[in-house]
Amino acid sequence: MLTTILNLFGRSPFAPLESHMGKVANCVQMIPELFEALSKKDYDEVERITAKISELEHHADLTKNDIRNHLPKGLFLPIDRSHLLEILAIQDRIADAAEDVAILTTLKPLEMLPIFKNDFHEFLNKNLESFQSAQLIIKEMHDLLESSFGGIEAQKVKSMVDDVAFKEHEADLIQRKLLKNLFKTEDQMSYGSFSLWMRICEELGSISDLSENLANRVRMTLDLK
Amino acid sequence: MTFEMTLLVLILISGFYMAWSIGANDVANAMGTSVGSAALTLKQAVIIAAILEFSGAFFFGSHVSETIENGIIKSEVFSQTPILLVYGMLASLLATAAWLQLASYYGWPVSATHAIVGAVVGFGAIIGGIDAIYWGNVSQIVISWFISPLSGGLLAYLIFTFLRKKIFFAPDPIKAAQKITPPLVFMVLTTLSLIMIFHGLNNLELQLNPFETAGICFLISSAGYLISYWLVQRITLPGTPLISTARTNPETFIGLDKAKKHLNRVTLTCSGETHYQVLLLLGEIDRLSASLKKPEETHDTTTEYAVVENIFGYLQIMSACLMAFAHGANDVANAIGPLSASINVLRTGIVTSHTAVPAWALALGGFGIVVGLATWGWRVIETIGKKITELTPTRGFAAEFGAATTILVASRLGMPISTTHTLVGAVIGVGLARGIEALDLRMTRDIMLSWVVTIPISAAITVVFFYILQAIFGS
Repeated sequence: MLTTILNLFGRSPFAPLESHMGKVANCVQMIPELFEALSKKDYDEVERITAKISELEHHADLTKNDIRNHLPKGLFLPIDRSHLLEILAIQDRIADAAEDVAILTTLKPLEMLPIFKNDFHEFLNKNLESFQSAQLIIKEMHDLLESSFGGIEAQKVKSMVDDVAFKEHEADLIQRKLLKNLFKTEDQMSYGSFSLWMRICEELGSISDLSENLANRVRMTLDLK
Repeated sequence: MTFEMTLLVLILISGFYMAWSIGANDVANAMGTSVGSAALTLKQAVIIAAILEFSGAFFFGSHVSETIENGIIKSEVFSQTPILLVYGMLASLLATAAWLQLASYYGWPVSATHAIVGAVVGFGAIIGGIDAIYWGNVSQIVISWFISPLSGGLLAYLIFTFLRKKIFFAPDPIKAAQKITPPLVFMVLTTLSLIMIFHGLNNLELQLNPFETAGICFLISSAGYLISYWLVQRITLPGTPLISTARTNPETFIGLDKAKKHLNRVTLTCSGETHYQVLLLLGEIDRLSASLKKPEETHDTTTEYAVVENIFGYLQIMSACLMAFAHGANDVANAIGPLSASINVLRTGIVTSHTAVPAWALALGGFGIVVGLATWGWRVIETIGKKITELTPTRGFAAEFGAATTILVASRLGMPISTTHTLVGAVIGVGLARGIEALDLRMTRDIMLSWVVTIPISAAITVVFFYILQAIFGS
């Protein structure tokens, strides 16, 4: 009888979800450092940072697997289990995107040409901003649970979601500008370098896209009027 | 004479032991959630439990005890050989105690109430024959076993949904909580005083007519209203001021209105598809200006919810008291029902069909519960309190109140139900209202399994013990 009430409460996946997002943030936040080193042409530093990002991404994967392994069928959650798993999967993809960006920078000694340097940094920052806004939403999860996903808390999260969507749109605009400038350099770089830069911009852009997806998935769990 | 004395002593010891084990194991389920949500400290929980379990047992426990004593076995069947009834009741007590020991050793979620009822029914049916049981009563009891977790769950679900809508969904949760609490307390106290005072509290020998009953209920409820009002007003509000985002530029609204006027003119000049598109545009502009007009207030909701939970801490204390009282009332019967039946026979030498449970027996049961709580139960409360932190006061209040009301109504009707399973139903009810982070429903399968298994097993063990007693003490 002692164990009856205790066994009724299962292991909540929400705190681990937040902690996973924190680990993903660790990966993503190293990207500015990476491109700092790249613009200084410090290729050893680039390698080092990339190795670190890989390691951090692996840690995040371990947390993700741990969460997935502790969601037995009998566990009843206040939100759809599929939504929870999707949010987790998107977070995982963000970490993967960060790792991919890092690996791409190590494939060949790249040079950041002055023509697109500023645009690139603007693009990078905007992507990071949208990620950080998405992370804030995940941090709100704790309050959402308290108010059981409704009321003014849900309204607040809804406006945060709109915020992330807007930042993603801004990132898209900057990306267009960036790519135009990148194409202007097609004669100054080898095809290999050019295609690497294209890939890097793509992967980087996916961070804001995924952040917007994440925000929308969270929005789907809300109990809005 | 000596063998009767031995029997008497045995009966008293087993009855006391049953009561002790209730205090040691079961009370924790009632009080543990309050300690876990920090509405009560361990010491406060133990003291409250001690006082209220005893009061529940003494003042309200007679209804259920009488059911187990008289309502299951037709005593006339044993009028020729009354001593067999004594053996049977004693065997039920011993068998239940043994089965519960075994179950708690293996960690099975067995209910003491189901075990004792199964034991008594088993003894009556097998020794006295099929006709020796009031099958009508027994089927009512079994139905109440199904209804009680459902009712606890439904009540808890309704209460928590109500709290969700009125408090968490309100623009200012703290004010909403302050507004809601006194009327809530009033309603709670009214319902409970009505259940208890209306022919409920037997041992106090109160003879009240309906007006006096209503008057007392009103007094108690109003006192509760005023006290809770005063307490709630004393809650200090958080220091962080409201930060509103920058208001929209009035030029925006002027511009939007101009756009609407132009678009309205356009609708007069076109038709068909274009007309439809323009109407859509007008709708969009309306939505936009409406959303811009509402000033967004972003303030720190975390501290707000913490204050709401503080307010509900008081309510949870109240519901914890109710749980303890209700639990004492319903579970003391597990020990005292069989005890008073057998002691009655030993004292008078004959079997009577409708005897009241003596006050001293209820006091003995209550005392046993308190002793069990003081010697072992507090440890269990501490363990549960440390491990269950998921239940915040709002959830705890909803669950405990749903469970306590169900148990009280069942006790008033004389139905012995499982308090633990009712509480489980109530917690699941709160979970279904999206109140709990993670609810492990695999446990419900184990609980239902234990229902099916307990009754035959305790019946069987009882019959074995009966034959042993008969062999030792003779017919």
